[in-house]
Formats: sequence, structure tokens, C-alpha cells
Amino acid sequence: MTTSSAFKPMTRWQWAGLAILALTALFSLVAPVVGGDPLVQDLDHVMVKPSAASPLGTDHLGRSMLARLGHAARLSLLLAALSVLTAAIPGAVLGVAAAWRSRWTDTMLSTIADGVLALPGLLLIVLLTAFAPGRFWPFYVGLSLALWVEYFRVVRASAQSLLRGPQVEASRLLGFGPAYIVRRHLLPELFPLLRTLMTFGAATSVLSLAALGLVGVGLRPPTPELGTMMIELLPHYQEAPWLIAEPILILLFAVTGLALVAGEREFR
Amino acid sequence: MTFLDVRDLSVHAGTTAVVRDVSLRLEESQTYTLLGETGSGKSLLAQAIMGNLPAGLRSSGSITVFGETSTADETVKRRRLWGHSMALLPQEPWLALDPTMRVLSQVAETYQRVRRPSESRESARKRATGDFLTLGLEGAERKLPGALSGGMAQRTAFAAVRSGGARLLIVDEPTKGLDAGLRDSIVSMLKQVAANDGAVLTITHDVAAARSLGGTIGVMLDGEIVEQGPAAQVLAEPRHDYTRRLLAADPQTWGPRTQPPPLGPVLAANGLSKRFGHHQLFANLDIEIAADERFAVIGPSGSGKTTLGGMLLGLVPPDSGSVWRRSDVPAWKFQKLYQDPIAAFAPRASLRTSLRDVVSRHNLGWKEVEKWLDRTRLRASLLDRLPDQVSSGELQRIALVRVLLLRPVLLVADEPTSRLDPITQQETIELLAECLVDAGCALVLVTHDPAIAGSLASRVLTLNPPSPPAP
Repeated sequence: MTTSSAFKPMTRWQWAGLAILALTALFSLVAPVVGGDPLVQDLDHVMVKPSAASPLGTDHLGRSMLARLGHAARLSLLLAALSVLTAAIPGAVLGVAAAWRSRWTDTMLSTIADGVLALPGLLLIVLLTAFAPGRFWPFYVGLSLALWVEYFRVVRASAQSLLRGPQVEASRLLGFGPAYIVRRHLLPELFPLLRTLMTFGAATSVLSLAALGLVGVGLRPPTPELGTMMIELLPHYQEAPWLIAEPILILLFAVTGLALVAGEREFR
Repeated sequence: MTFLDVRDLSVHAGTTAVVRDVSLRLEESQTYTLLGETGSGKSLLAQAIMGNLPAGLRSSGSITVFGETSTADETVKRRRLWGHSMALLPQEPWLALDPTMRVLSQVAETYQRVRRPSESRESARKRATGDFLTLGLEGAERKLPGALSGGMAQRTAFAAVRSGGARLLIVDEPTKGLDAGLRDSIVSMLKQVAANDGAVLTITHDVAAARSLGGTIGVMLDGEIVEQGPAAQVLAEPRHDYTRRLLAADPQTWGPRTQPPPLGPVLAANGLSKRFGHHQLFANLDIEIAADERFAVIGPSGSGKTTLGGMLLGLVPPDSGSVWRRSDVPAWKFQKLYQDPIAAFAPRASLRTSLRDVVSRHNLGWKEVEKWLDRTRLRASLLDRLPDQVSSGELQRIALVRVLLLRPVLLVADEPTSRLDPITQQETIELLAECLVDAGCALVLVTHDPAIAGSLASRVLTLNPPSPPAP
């Protein structure tokens, strides 16, 4: 005998993840306002320890770490949200279309998806940044292009088995149309899957942006970005270890929060 | 030697006891059959003995397996015996098989990994192939579970469980949804396990299976064993009132039903043929069904009954031939009842929502729903539950209400009662027959049970087992 409620309640860990994420988001909203201009240098006060005047200290050029970290966190979270949405919506729609429509549509869409999958996501982004070095949009476009395949494949596979199953057959016999089948049969089953995929996708986006910044193909200084900040502050880690620790902690918070929200996968 | 000795086993869900003080013994070379209706706690008893009760259920009492005693909640001790000493053949064979692995490999894998001492790769495959031959599964070796019929999946799961070499076998509803021929072969396989120094605890609602298994029978009602004794004695001279009802509900004891005179045709099929892989399921079938007629299709598992039913509704295209359906009524006047009602409902929507959707789609009044609920003796409060929170018998009746709302002209009922216990089955079939008369609807009943078909239908079409592959 199995019992399953309509939606699983969030576990304690998921709530913890949500809290961490909310704190990070709050920081990204408040810090830029409180911290002032992230680009203004003050060479008289470089690598100042955290104090009441500058709560997170200043970097090697005397810029406010509070402002820079706030802007960097905002950039990472916005990029993650934006690229996840632009990947998830078309990915899911195309997945349902491939499962629903003729074999020809399915073959065509699946071939395109496999083609994209053959190209590593980071490589795609690096290729695009060559067109517009240091700009924001190649990351957004590249990440979305790399991520949509995942949604497409998962949605296609689940939608296919649902659409061939007796519950959808019964609804069709009862005279219901496609809109009803999507609303009543597909979406309730797909939402939990999409939620997990989207949180993991957001974590991937945040990490990718930082990774590219760290290896120097990301956004260009002086734009505050977690990865570029880490590489800028790396030479000073012996004199001022707290400086490099700060962007790392923000990254850790964002990714941990997202990973916890995604929740455990159930193997039963 | 005593294989299994269960004393005062109870299972509690919260404060309610779903299994109460059950004691039973199973000796070497014996069979014990637990007989009872759906929802009587039989499956939970099996899970408690194995030690894999669903979370949230507590068990108490003591269980001795092969001389080693543990309390019911010391599941870890019994878990160590799984597969090679004691094994459970679960109710839904499809869920027990890996959907992505070819079936022969699944059986061979058990010989190789679970059995003690384990077999080499080659001999494991050889023995698995041998099992497939004896179980009549030749030709299916390289298939995925999704491509098997219900009966074949059941036998594959049986082969996989047996290949672990467990001497104590617990079998949950092994004959559910199988025709008489397959039922006999599963029963004889179980008896063979017992004869070869094993012991089998079978859980079933199938009186015929219990009769041919013999051994000891325990009759279960509301979580308690109400009667226990040698099979011959319990079946011939039942002492408990419930046992008597259970035996009386066996389809073989039903009388024929009076038939209404036929009216004009509602459906006509010409020259239908279907192949499945290399097997010719049927060829050149001509069927004409009159309004109000009750027509039955019977045949063994895998003979294409369900396919034919789907074809009549236009869900499956025929390889050749054509189906004509009355064209002066909308397509949704042709409806279907499913073997597994739970699969035919959106799992996350309450039953009320599902019914309300139908009512608003077709501009009906909720009064209609209440009328049919009354007619099928269902409480309206059931509708607030999810499909998996009502019993299969209740859900099948709700499914019946859902199709009757549309006043169908033809209903294809695909094994509508094969997953129900005899009493619920009899009630459901009675209701189905009465409601169809009320609604003025023709019936195509797909079943493996000639007794039900003969009792309910005026005409019976028998499909033969699939012909062997052409050379």
C-alpha cells in the first residue's frame, strides 16, 4: 500500500537552504545600497580590516568590499535566475512538443538537442565570449543554450510515458482536449522534476560564471564579479586572508542554498 | 523443520491495528495460503514478516525464520536473509522488474549475484535460459519488461525471485489478473518450490488458486485470521460466515443472467488483423455489436484481448480491416474501463476534482454525479481523497460513475474486476450489469475468466493463444 500526498512538504534541510538563499539575496539587494560605488578607489585606505566604517573592509585598491560583493552577488543571482528561466521554459515546451507531436518533430528536436549536448557548455560560453569580450550577454546566451537540453530531455521522457499511459487515454476518451491534458496530467507530474532541475541549473550557472572569471575569460575588471574578485585578491591572501575569503563565502552560500533547496533525490 | 513461525504479529498504523495478533506456522515442504479480500491486511502481513513495512507502520510480535527468532520490528535480522534464504514475490510484477534491462539478464543476474553459492556468468545465463523454457517464456529473453504482457511479466518476476534460491518464498497475489491456464502453471510452480525442500506462503483472494495449492489455509478478515486449517477442510466445510461468503462469490458458482433482446448495431468491425512482432494475434475478425448487447472477448494472457478492445475504440490502429462506430453520436459516447483503475486517474487530483472536470466539460449537473454515486453505493465523502487513498473496488466504481456520466452507447471494460477479490468482484460485476441496463449502453467485456464472460455476456468471442512465429 502506498500513500502519497499531492505535494511533498519541504524537508527541514530544504527550509534551511531557502533561508540561506534568502539571506544571500537580501545581501545582494542591501549591500550595494549601503556600500556605495563599487568602482571608486581610495588608495589611502587599501586592505583595511573590517570595521564600523567599512563593514567588510576594502580591497587592494581601497574599494569597498561590501559594495563590490553586493554587486557581484546580485550579478550571479540575476544571471542564474535569468538563464534558468530562459532555458527551462523553451526546454519544457519543446520537450512536451517532441513527446506529443509526430515522430518527425521528435526526431528533429532530439537531433538538435543531441547536437547541443555534444558541445561542452563551458566551451560554448568561451566561444561566445570571443565575439564580445568582457560583456554580460555571452554568458547569459551561452548558459541558456547549454542548459535547455537538460529540461528538454527530462520533460520529453516523462511526458512521453505519461501521454502513452491510461490516465491520458481515459481523459481523451472522456472528451478532454490538449489544454486539459497538459494542465491536469502533465504539469502536476513535471513541476517537481522541473523544480529540482532548475535549482541545480541555477547552481551550475553561478559556479560557471565564477569559474570563467577565475580563469580570466569572464567579465573584465573592474566589474565586480565573484570569480574575477577571487583572482584579483589571490596575490594578497597572506597579508589579508579575509579579503579572498569573502567572495568564496558568498559563492559557498549561494551554491549551498541552491543545492539544499533542490532536496534529496529519492531512490525507492 | 519449521521454516517460519509467526506469533502474535500485529501491525499498527497510528493507533489503529491493521493486522491483529496473527499467529501462523509453516513447516518445510508445506504451503500456507492466506485468503481474504482486498484491504484485509494480507499484504501488510507479508511485508511485516519480510521486514519491509512502509514507513509509519509499527509492528509487534515475534517472527522465527529458520530457527532464528527476532521481534517483528528487528527488521535488520531478517533483511540479511533476503533473496537467498527468504524472498518475496511482490504484487505488481512490472514494478519489481528493472524497466531498462532485458529480462533474461535480470534473471541471470540473480543467479550470479544473489544466490549462495553464486553461479558463474555462463552457467547463470544457461540456468536462466532453462527457466525461461520451463516457464513458457521462450522468445521473450531479449525483451524489456515494458514489452511483456501482464502474465509474462509475472512469470519473469517469478523466475527472478526463484533464481535467488530462497527456500522460504512469500508470494503476494501471484494469480492476480491471470487466466486459468497461467494460474494453474504458477500454482504448480509454487507447489514445486514447496516440494523441493522449500515452503511457500501465498497471499491471495483467488479461491481457485487456494484450492489447488492445498496445504493450510488461513482466512483473513479485517486484519485477523478468522479461520485456519487444512485446505480441504476449510474449503469443504467453512465454519466462519465470511469464509462461506468468500466461497459463494467465486465466479464459477454464478448463474447466467437474463439477456435483453438485441437492437440496431452500435459498432461493426470488418476483417481486423493484428501482429505483434512475429506473433499473429488475430486475423480477419468480424464483429458487430448491437446497442444494449453484452459481448465478451475471452482468451489467455497475451492473446491480444486488450489490443482488440483498444482497436474497437480507435485507440490502436489495426494492421488491416476497419472499425465502424455509430457516427450520429459524439466520439466520447464510446468509453473504457481499465483493468487497473488507479492508472486511469490523474494521481495528484482529488476524485472530486476529476469528476467535476467531467461535469463541467460536458455541462452536466453535479446532481448526475450524486445519482450515480447513490446507484453504485459510494459515499460522497470518498471523493475528497486521492485515487491511491481508496480501495481498488471503490475506485473501479468511481471510474464507472465517471464514464456513466456521459451516458455512453458502448463501454469497453478491460478486465475490470481481475484485480478485485471475489466478493468485491461479484458486487462490481452486478453493478456494472445493472448500470449498463439503466444507461442503455452496450458492453464489450474483455476478460480471461470464461465464468464471468458466460454469466454476463450474450455472445462470447474466444481469442486463441498467439500463433508461433512464422518460419
